Amino acid sequence: MLRKLLFHNQSKKQLVIALIGSLLGMVFLVLSIHYSIIIQKFGEGTDVLGPNTLIVQKKVTNSSSLNLTKTDFSLKEIEKIKAKEFVKDIQPISSNNFDVSFETSDPLVPYFRSDIFVQTIPENFIDVNTTKWKWKKGDKYVPMIMPREFLVMLNTFMSASGIPQISEDLVKEVSFKFKVWNNDKTEKFDVKIIGFTNEVSSILIPLNFMEFCNLNYGNSKGEKITQVLILGEEGRFGLVEEMLKERGLEPKNSQLIVGRLKSVVGTLFAIIFMISLITVFTSLLVLIQYIQLLLTKNSYEIRTLLRMGYFEKSLVKIITTNFIRLVGFICLLSFFLFIGVKILIDEICIKGGLYIDTGFTLGSVIGLTIAFLLFAIISFKIVQKEVVKLF
Amino acid sequence: MNILFQNVMPSPLNSIKHSLDSIWGNKFSLSKGQKVLLNASSGKGKSTFSSILFGIRSDFEGELFFDDKSTKDFSRSEWTGYRRTKLSIVFQDLQLFPDLTVSENLLLKNDLTQSFLSNEVKAMVEKLGIGQKWNEKCGVLSMGQQQRVAIIRSLLQPFEWLILDEPFSHLDENNIKICLELINERCDQLGAGFILTSLGSNHNFIYDNELKL
Repeated sequence: MLRKLLFHNQSKKQLVIALIGSLLGMVFLVLSIHYSIIIQKFGEGTDVLGPNTLIVQKKVTNSSSLNLTKTDFSLKEIEKIKAKEFVKDIQPISSNNFDVSFETSDPLVPYFRSDIFVQTIPENFIDVNTTKWKWKKGDKYVPMIMPREFLVMLNTFMSASGIPQISEDLVKEVSFKFKVWNNDKTEKFDVKIIGFTNEVSSILIPLNFMEFCNLNYGNSKGEKITQVLILGEEGRFGLVEEMLKERGLEPKNSQLIVGRLKSVVGTLFAIIFMISLITVFTSLLVLIQYIQLLLTKNSYEIRTLLRMGYFEKSLVKIITTNFIRLVGFICLLSFFLFIGVKILIDEICIKGGLYIDTGFTLGSVIGLTIAFLLFAIISFKIVQKEVVKLF
Repeated sequence: MNILFQNVMPSPLNSIKHSLDSIWGNKFSLSKGQKVLLNASSGKGKSTFSSILFGIRSDFEGELFFDDKSTKDFSRSEWTGYRRTKLSIVFQDLQLFPDLTVSENLLLKNDLTQSFLSNEVKAMVEKLGIGQKWNEKCGVLSMGQQQRVAIIRSLLQPFEWLILDEPFSHLDENNIKICLELINERCDQLGAGFILTSLGSNHNFIYDNELKL
């Protein structure tokens, strides 16, 4: 009877419009949160380099070939790049200053040997288990990260030798050795492959091993910095790309394509997120206005009930619960709609060859929960305030 | 519950000159179980008196005590507690719900304290001659019928004081007599007192105390 009395003066049309607005806003909100997270995660774990990381070198031009311009980075240049607000970090890539070769050392694999070029990438730029990425003198093996191009070359050699090709997992089990030498001495080190990369063309080794070899087997020539690693701010690849152009620097193209894609799609979802927020906010505002209108229209009933001996808490509870149930239902409905739309989008992406994570993101559920809680708290406070006013 | 008015002066009546024996600005008390008549012409503050006593208005100087407790210290929930078990009222404008039926209006009040069974409520309605209106919306009843609904509603709770603000203004003498009988019966049953405000007539009501404005 109380419910009948407190809600008989309501305009259902306005309520339905507000609820439809909330439903659409919440679906877009959850979708934009979900896909913003998915896009940020896109590409993670597929390579040893962390996301938003570029290996950059100076463009080789006719003048640099004629030694008129330099292709190495000065410390001043590095500092200038570091000062940019969209650059999180920049570090030089160290290269070997000693002679080194890589060879197989496994009875099951034919002998193969090649002089190689090794590089070191600072630990914080590498997306591998850091406990494995360590070396000290006396260790059983040197961990290394192999360029996938090198594995293709190795497999071509295996195939030519009439031996089945080996997978990434299998090659990690094969024994290899580094041979390091100078005019006076030679040393061999057991090697274990712990990861692969598409983004770096040279074999990567831990910094300690590089320093050890440079010290003990290095030639007297000073080391030049010809490549640097740049860690860009999330979603600001456009700015990084522009800076590279201005400075005549070039990254590896595939890295830039992923970065640009993430940046564009990320910006797109950020815009959708903003629009969704405005939609949710506006529809919640309409709902709140609806609550206020309902309370105004029923002020006589509420005031009389209070005078009859009804506690304000119980009236607040009845009115608020009614709206919280409605919004709870809208949230639930929007979540189911989100699942439907998500399945559709995921299918389109997979058909188009974009292998994104098809799981659910905690952020989307948290976003929906926050919207619901926000409404519950605001509606409770408004109803409480208006009812107290009528006492 | 004893009631003590200590120099109570409502703000809107502050500028008016009151007689020496007026309740406004003076000290007087009402003892539990008393039957009180407050008879005055329009504009003297009869409804203001009812509203102050019922906790609807607080724009007054002086102090009002229920037993020894000043109403100025009452919280909203304390007032609600008093309105459930110690004070009941018939408002001058009745304050019924026009879209609810007579039975709904009455049971909405009765549900708060479960003071009567539904058939007992219906018996009261029949006693006051509006039994056939039980399922009719209050909004379509005449003022006299609505006044009788409001009187019955005020009796559907425990109380120590019943405040009746011009409750018989649309009733004939016969209906007033029946209503007063029912009110007296309920007050005697509870050992409660009542305050009847009236516009010039005492309705042949036997009272213990008369207040002047």
